Amino acid sequence: MTSAAPTVFIVDDDASVRKSVTRLAAAAGYTVRVFASAREFLAGEPAAGPSCVVLDVQMPGLTGLDLQKALADAVHRSAIVFITGHGDVAMSVNAMKAGAVDFLTKPFAGQDLLDAIQRALAKDTRDLGAEARIAEIRQRVSLLTPRETEVFALVVTGMLNKQIAAELGIGEKTVKVHRARVMEKMRAGSVAELVRLADAVGVIVPKA
Amino acid sequence: MGPSSYAVVAVVLIVVETALVVWLLFQRAHGRRAQRLLEDRWRFEALLAELSAKLIHVDGGGLDAALEGALRQMIAFLGVDRGNLDEYVAAAAGVRVSYAGPGIAELPSILLAAEQFPWTADTLRSGGVVRFSRGTELPAEAATDRRSYDRLGTRSHLSIPLRAGGPMLGVLSFDSVREQRTWPDELVDRLRLLSEAFASALERKRMERSLAERLRETGRLRQELTHISRVSALGELTASLAHELNQPLAAILNNAEVAQCLVEADVPNIAEVREILKDIVADDKRAADVIRRLRSLLKKDQPEQVPVDINDVVSELAEVIRHDVSVRNVPMSLELASGLPRVRGDRVQLQQVVLNMVLNGLEAMREPNGHDPALVIRTSRAGAASVAVAVEDSGTGIEMRDLDRMFQPLYTTKADGLGMGLAIARTIVDAHGGQLLASNNAGGGATFQFTLPVVAEPAS
Repeated sequence: MTSAAPTVFIVDDDASVRKSVTRLAAAAGYTVRVFASAREFLAGEPAAGPSCVVLDVQMPGLTGLDLQKALADAVHRSAIVFITGHGDVAMSVNAMKAGAVDFLTKPFAGQDLLDAIQRALAKDTRDLGAEARIAEIRQRVSLLTPRETEVFALVVTGMLNKQIAAELGIGEKTVKVHRARVMEKMRAGSVAELVRLADAVGVIVPKA
Repeated sequence: MGPSSYAVVAVVLIVVETALVVWLLFQRAHGRRAQRLLEDRWRFEALLAELSAKLIHVDGGGLDAALEGALRQMIAFLGVDRGNLDEYVAAAAGVRVSYAGPGIAELPSILLAAEQFPWTADTLRSGGVVRFSRGTELPAEAATDRRSYDRLGTRSHLSIPLRAGGPMLGVLSFDSVREQRTWPDELVDRLRLLSEAFASALERKRMERSLAERLRETGRLRQELTHISRVSALGELTASLAHELNQPLAAILNNAEVAQCLVEADVPNIAEVREILKDIVADDKRAADVIRRLRSLLKKDQPEQVPVDINDVVSELAEVIRHDVSVRNVPMSLELASGLPRVRGDRVQLQQVVLNMVLNGLEAMREPNGHDPALVIRTSRAGAASVAVAVEDSGTGIEMRDLDRMFQPLYTTKADGLGMGLAIARTIVDAHGGQLLASNNAGGGATFQFTLPVVAEPAS
């Protein structure tokens, strides 16, 4: 976990709104980074620590909803607070379904936005923790040899050593050795734990 | 023969001669009177012909004056003291032309004062003429009428109902106050003829009045429809207009909240507060501008054609639609020719036409069609006496079968369209003396263009 101060990204095409929201977030002690368009934001550096995006829905070019989808497609961690000049129910439902933390209609009270930012940062902190854990599990997976990886993928599907041996065309004893190394390298105490680790990083059964 | 015989003969001769002279004198006098009567009659016929011709040829505007002139000539010719021509429209007064000699009170309208003249009114309504040389000629049942005539000082009176085929339109009355007079049958017959000319003039005026009323009503409905169409076109922009208004409002609110915190701090950052207040003022102006532009488009004023700068008109509208166009991801560009002469027009109506053309263009570009969306609003000189405003899109273009009919009312290719936009746009442009045209572009898309005649301004 990093100890960087939480960052609030503000993406709005309207200069007045950008300026006022920046003042609000800065006054609350956040590090603020401001963008006039979704493209600018995508081109920018991601934050090291917890962060959230205060995002205008209606912008020329890439809209806020487009950006939300782009971030999701890129499996990019994002906690989004939408702000809109004119929201309708369908629009807010779509945004929330796609994982937005909040959906505020302009003009909104400053405290409402700060509350939403806080919730978004809390979510991002959680996501960040999960991300760190996944990175660690990936790190362990990377220590496995190709044969061990194959055995790992088959063990978590619930196959017996005999079946794995048949599947891979190797001896049952050899499977046993690989399996012990996998348990050790993955630091798993049981098959159930190994399954949870596999689940977290999405290890896929390699096709022979 | 004796001397006495001569005397007798002489006496006889003298008598005969005297009788002859007397007879001749009498004959001559009689001839003169006959001639005078003949002349009078000829003058009367000529007057009737002249008045009838005048009344038939006069147009609506000059009719009142013509009726008054005719009545005065009649009064002068007949040597009566007062006369009226009263129109009677559905139990109410219509045109009233009245003339009374000096020092003589006007004659009231007999039909409107029917309670004073019940018998006269009844007689006229049933198509009869009322005439008397002296009050005693009135029948017993006209006692009330007689008292009224006496009170008005009427000695002799003549009233003729005015008809032009249909129901009674009014009454033509003549009244003698200073002396008694008779109304010979021949005179009354002639006056009845004249009354027909009066009646047909009144009938014509009545028709012109109802035509003018219908035209006014049509104009009012057209104005109403134009307004409704404008409001509904703006309705398509509602979302973006709300957005335009909410942006500055949001900025103002958040700025004010931050300023509040700053002021309450132990060491207030006055410089920052000052900065914030400046922004609040600017954003407030921005919101007010949005409302002002919108209000001017929504208001329901009488259209007023004044000299306007077409570039101003177009730029102002572009501000209203700017956001809507941009969230649709359509780049909009204004190509405004400089130094254009002014045109005479109603700013709001002209903006309505441009708005309509823009909405059509946006609609045509809604579905991807292989071309990049682009909207150009262009003003230019169109010949020596016109300027043109064109809206060019890169949409689907106009289908040939729509090209002929698209300006017709209620014709639409949109699922939720009223089919009035272009029809009204064309009506507006027509009313400005211009032309609205649509054509497909060579490279795809369509162009809507209208021309407006320039204002002839004295060279300064």
